[in-house]
Amino acid sequence: MADAATIPRKISPSAAVAVRLTMALAALVLLLMMVLGLAMRLAQSNWVDLAPDLFYQVMTAHGVGMVGAAGLAGAAIMWFFLNRYVELRVGVYYLFLAFFLVGVMLILGGTFLGGFAGAWTFLFPLPAMSGGVWNPGASLAFFIGLLCVGVGFLVLYLDAGLGIVSRYGSLARALGWPQLFAGSQQEAPSPTVVASTVVLIVNTLSIVAGAIILVISSVNLYVPAFGIDALLAKNLIYFFGHVFINTTIYMAVIAVYEIIPAYTGRAWKSNKVFLAGWTATLLLVLAVYPHHLFQDMVMPAWMLVMGQILSYVAGIPVIVVTTYALLVYLHRSGIRWDLASALLVLGIFGWVAGIIPAIIDGTISVNKVMHNTLWVPGHFHFYLLLGMVAIAFGFSIWLAQGEKPAQSFVPVQKIAFLGYLIGGLGLVATFLYAGMISVPRRWAVHLPEWVAQDQLGSIFAAVAVLATAMIVLNYLVRVARAK
Amino acid sequence: MQDAVGIITLVLVTLLAIVFLMVLRRASAPAVAGATADPGRFRAPLFWLLVVVGIGVSYGTLVEWPYGPGPATSGEPMTVTVTGSIWSWEINPTKLPVGKPIVFAVTSSDVNHGFGIYDPDLKMLTQVQAMPGYINKVYYTFSKAGNYKIVCLEYCGLGHHVMAADLTVGP
Repeated sequence: MADAATIPRKISPSAAVAVRLTMALAALVLLLMMVLGLAMRLAQSNWVDLAPDLFYQVMTAHGVGMVGAAGLAGAAIMWFFLNRYVELRVGVYYLFLAFFLVGVMLILGGTFLGGFAGAWTFLFPLPAMSGGVWNPGASLAFFIGLLCVGVGFLVLYLDAGLGIVSRYGSLARALGWPQLFAGSQQEAPSPTVVASTVVLIVNTLSIVAGAIILVISSVNLYVPAFGIDALLAKNLIYFFGHVFINTTIYMAVIAVYEIIPAYTGRAWKSNKVFLAGWTATLLLVLAVYPHHLFQDMVMPAWMLVMGQILSYVAGIPVIVVTTYALLVYLHRSGIRWDLASALLVLGIFGWVAGIIPAIIDGTISVNKVMHNTLWVPGHFHFYLLLGMVAIAFGFSIWLAQGEKPAQSFVPVQKIAFLGYLIGGLGLVATFLYAGMISVPRRWAVHLPEWVAQDQLGSIFAAVAVLATAMIVLNYLVRVARAK
Repeated sequence: MQDAVGIITLVLVTLLAIVFLMVLRRASAPAVAGATADPGRFRAPLFWLLVVVGIGVSYGTLVEWPYGPGPATSGEPMTVTVTGSIWSWEINPTKLPVGKPIVFAVTSSDVNHGFGIYDPDLKMLTQVQAMPGYINKVYYTFSKAGNYKIVCLEYCGLGHHVMAADLTVGP
């Protein structure tokens, strides 16, 4: 049995290059997807003319591109730090990247060449019934593209699982269960190992669920009699989507666990509270997905009730474990701020703040009047743009400055950070306000009564895009110079 | 409902921001020598506060089953059948009585749609998913006469944003 010591090892040079390349790719994709998002806001503001069919293609690309980029960046972060504790194969990582890139080509082709505009949620049977707007081939390209990306992730997680089990003996040990439940006095695995183990379990399940509905949907395109109950399809899709997007945050937060200690001089401990929080999250993230199905009352009542109650419970580990610990570690730590640490801490604020409107919308009686309004993009942009993506950028900048705290936080970086914060908060606030006034989500054209606040949202979105461009440029220039 | 939700969100997010700022203000300061207070002392009270609030809200919002006809209704609700299709609504009847409980039995002939009822001020009153192969029911009692708008709330393709209909509510 391998020992569970947590002395980190140095990542190999080829692995370090692979991750830097990935973060460059992810940063560019994120920036491009933000431009698409801005285009949507500008169209709804009547400041840019975007034909509805193109709007919905842009919307589809923005959604799938953001989810994909978040997954890519998160996976790179997880893989980078997990390398410190277990044996991982660089060849497998490049295979993951290759699958990802092939998938992206197919998805982009299906969307912008084939005209597929089924949204990233590809809700069955919409891809097969576009009302004549796109051909089955476009949907098929999109589906196969997603399947490719999924296979890439599965391969990466399999390798991670092999590495973890080789070192720790079992997934249960890697989760710290002997320490949590059996009173073991041996040191628990590092936070990175615990979080990675949770991710590889839940995301394997989510990707398999996604693959099932993708394959059925693909066949259904050409053989309509080969179908699936629409409610079961919806369950599979939302289980896949919910878990997948949540794991992008779980993978990213590993960067916080690993990097903040370098600034505070205080190690991030996998104590019992930490282990309990992550074991709870393992179960909660899987069981909470029915909160996407509150307007389908044909669902079993117990699942809808479970969806509401667990939405509230799922907030507890974020608040009481990760956020609380971060604030304790930061308090009187003597930290000297730089762009990397500022973004990492912003990311935790964005995550925990973003779950507030999410959890409130996870109340059935609230959901009745807010589901599928812009309240929904409001809350997920909060914990993605200001949460996960802020952490990803923080990690990138930390890589670019030599994997250590910078000497200073120069004015141009402060401007970029403030722009990101203000642009992001404004974007989120206008979405949430729009949800309050019942503006539906996913509408290419808004009613005149809604346009003024759309325009305000566009201004904030533009600020966020500019700030992001500054941060991405900062990363690319410094990484290129460091080579 | 929507206003209350917005205000609660604003208050809680602001409170959280204040907590963060209070800690961040003291982040760069050195540790106090000889400080003995356990930094984890707020964790358990915070946890129990969240649990108590969670139980309270869960009970308060579920004790009256949110999918039911509601407490103040008497008699059989009037049924309105709704079928969503790409990209239009078939609603029968479209002239409805004010003050009487109504149940909308909603389905779809093709893809998922979202049946959303908006009042004359464009505020959402209720909604339900329109699914192929299923009938989803939503109960509503109109308290005011007027012209109400039906919009689609589940993305269904090119005509999603123009898939609308009108309801007239009168005495």
